[in-house]
Amino acid sequence: MAEGALSGIRIVDLTQGIAGPYCTKLLVDSGAEVIKVEPPEGDYTRRLGPFPGDKPDPEKSGLFIHLNGGKKSIVLDIGTDDGRAALGKLLASADVFVEGEMPGRMGDLNLHYNDLSGAYPNLIYCSITPFGQSGPYAQFKGNSMAAMALSGLMYITGDPDKPPLCTGGEPADYFGALHAWVAILAALEHRSVSGNGQHLDVSCLEALGCADEYNTPMYSYLGAIRKRFFSRHHIPTYPSEIFPCRDGHIVVIGGATGFPLMMAILIEQPELENNPLFQNLWLRTIQWQDFEKILRPYVVEHDWDDLLTRAQELRIPFAAVMDPQRLLDNEHLRERAFFAEIEQPGVGKLPVATHVFKMSETPLRAAPAPALGSDTKAVLG
Amino acid sequence: MTLPLEGIRVLDFAQVYAGPTCTRLLADLGADVIKVEGLKRMDITRNFIMPENTAAEDYWNTSGYFLLRNGGKRSLTLDFSEESGGAGIDIVKKLIPQCDIVVESFTPHVMAKLGIDYKSLTAIRPDIIMISMSGYGQNGPWRDFSGYGMGLEPASGMSSVTGYEGGDPLRTGISFTDPYSGIVGAGAVLTALVYRRRTGKGQYIDLSEQEAAIPVVGYALMEQVMKGRLTKRIGNRSYWYAPQNAYRCLGDPDGQGDNWIVISVRDDAEFAALAGALGHPEWTKDKRFADNASRMKNQDAFDALIEGWTKDKDHVEAMNTLQAAGVLAAAVLNPKESLLDPHLKARGFFDRVDTGNAGVRPVAHQLGAKFSAFEAKSARRAPNLGEHNAEILSQLLGMGDGEIAELKEKGVIGDTPISAVPLPVMRMFVQFPLTSYQNMGALGDLDTDYREQLGIASEQGETK
Repeated sequence: MAEGALSGIRIVDLTQGIAGPYCTKLLVDSGAEVIKVEPPEGDYTRRLGPFPGDKPDPEKSGLFIHLNGGKKSIVLDIGTDDGRAALGKLLASADVFVEGEMPGRMGDLNLHYNDLSGAYPNLIYCSITPFGQSGPYAQFKGNSMAAMALSGLMYITGDPDKPPLCTGGEPADYFGALHAWVAILAALEHRSVSGNGQHLDVSCLEALGCADEYNTPMYSYLGAIRKRFFSRHHIPTYPSEIFPCRDGHIVVIGGATGFPLMMAILIEQPELENNPLFQNLWLRTIQWQDFEKILRPYVVEHDWDDLLTRAQELRIPFAAVMDPQRLLDNEHLRERAFFAEIEQPGVGKLPVATHVFKMSETPLRAAPAPALGSDTKAVLG
Repeated sequence: MTLPLEGIRVLDFAQVYAGPTCTRLLADLGADVIKVEGLKRMDITRNFIMPENTAAEDYWNTSGYFLLRNGGKRSLTLDFSEESGGAGIDIVKKLIPQCDIVVESFTPHVMAKLGIDYKSLTAIRPDIIMISMSGYGQNGPWRDFSGYGMGLEPASGMSSVTGYEGGDPLRTGISFTDPYSGIVGAGAVLTALVYRRRTGKGQYIDLSEQEAAIPVVGYALMEQVMKGRLTKRIGNRSYWYAPQNAYRCLGDPDGQGDNWIVISVRDDAEFAALAGALGHPEWTKDKRFADNASRMKNQDAFDALIEGWTKDKDHVEAMNTLQAAGVLAAAVLNPKESLLDPHLKARGFFDRVDTGNAGVRPVAHQLGAKFSAFEAKSARRAPNLGEHNAEILSQLLGMGDGEIAELKEKGVIGDTPISAVPLPVMRMFVQFPLTSYQNMGALGDLDTDYREQLGIASEQGETK
């Protein structure tokens, strides 16, 4: 196999769930060796499914496979002296250690960065937690929804007459994963120059908060509090709405060049070019109900693919509303070979979302996920 | 305290949001990022969010939105159009030998048309790392599609699992996949740097914003593959646990009444903690709630019981009470409350940035990680348009004052945008119609004392 970008880098990964495992997934796909240390009952995503035929099986959890392909799995109970001793030995050969325990627990086990940095001065030790290692909420329990709530992003997502809405797919965990990944790579570069390791403190709340676009600036620049309004933007971009169409949904976006003429042509009513709602962006934004009365009836009678293709030909940046089946069937993604295929023991062939970027020299690689403890003997001897 | 990317130079053609997020992270990690803008094509986000909603003469240097993604960069304006006789491109080619990384976010083929695609660049600097960040990638039937952030979150599949039960798919209230793919881009570049350090080889990275975020729907993808069914939109509930939802709390004193708390119960122990905190320890013996499967089935009933408790509680106090009892709970903060949140404050999440033209403002970090060996350089202002033209051209290309003045004369460089719309009209356009937004219900009342509330009032006068 060709050399990976991160060949020769060894990572010991104590994390469970999504944030830590997706971080080390990005590292293993680039050629690092990732030794996943699981408790005797396994990473809890082994119990979250989805499972083929809805039959729970720790070796067949879709979420676990999605997040852990290519890693080695060893079982250690770090609650025991033997487990901790084995982990300590393993860390002697590690470049990076990743953990996601509640702040304080690693210290209780004598496995805090400060306990290890003397023996392993060049170890990069990354902690990924919901709220970080310090501050009043450090001991709070958290998940992606809690981060959505505290970041201010949930407040402005959804409809005005309904509760705030959490974005699906546990995005704060994935954002936490990305920031930890970037931090680890930066620390590896730093170590190449300085020779020293360090402690990285990643907060999923802050990782998500970094995504803020203009909620806090709208307050810190003019004292305005954005309210929940159909997830709509306040910068002049209306419409950028998801409308129902004949066979699903489509994102109707005017973009910089869609109005007044191109949109009028798209919906086969060229005379609308002279309609004030097509001519004036602010008017359209404010009298959006009137504007939607013109657009929606046309959109709902056409298919998404037809609308998308014709809009893009007119340089109007419509977009598809993809669901998993459409992603899997999509000709564009197929031509780009986005999905890799793995042969997962006991499950069979599975498409996996590996190629999140394409590198000309060191392509990312996909591999099946490990069975619980399958590498314990080989790794620990 | 050496930063990891000190000595690394980035030539940054990216605009708007995703690409600039990538290069902002590189700048925070110590890289010298030269942001290249055209006078006819300045970064459009320079038009968004004016201090006090008032456009100054040079309003493009005061944007709160531009600052977020461009703090710490240097600005170089270059005209690439044919009228300038290719002078802009000549300068780029002269800069390349001194650059390690090129970032661009044009639609595919633009760089080739300009004669600065990856292949051309490697002829000048063989170990160059180049990343193209586009909506849909460099090949495939959708490659030439124009990709806007608001469309790419739905295109990634995320919106299919976001929405109220039984309702349409919904986006997040920001362009979620823009920062997401920006961070992926930064990680990809760092990965390439690690490889270059070991082997001496550069490479080309093709990043599609649509693809970058697809893993977020990994669970739903696997459900489709393994079970042949689409994951339903379930509002704020969980696929795995119950109860979980957003619950209404006591309204604001001003009667806006939009305060909420989210609560998530993941196992029997957390359920017992919640029942105890709500004053009903006997709920653990109620058959309807005895185990997770029963709670999943009876979550409507239980949601009503929870809201009975939350509806007359302050959302932040309720969070503190429940967390102290061992319950996963979080107040749904509005953007102002996030800015003032004691935890984020203690963590130093918001820097106080002297923005120059807009005074001191709190600005969110762009990297959600703290490093023990160095501090990422987050608290820096964004460059004015063309601010570093002379500095860069003299420092890196050894140009003299006369040569630089000539480029300015020819319009190759400059510091005032050339807009098809007259600037006085633009100045009106970049101010939000706040009253209309308030009447629509999209904005609340303005806090006229927001600078006092944020603790930046005293610093406002000094820097103006």
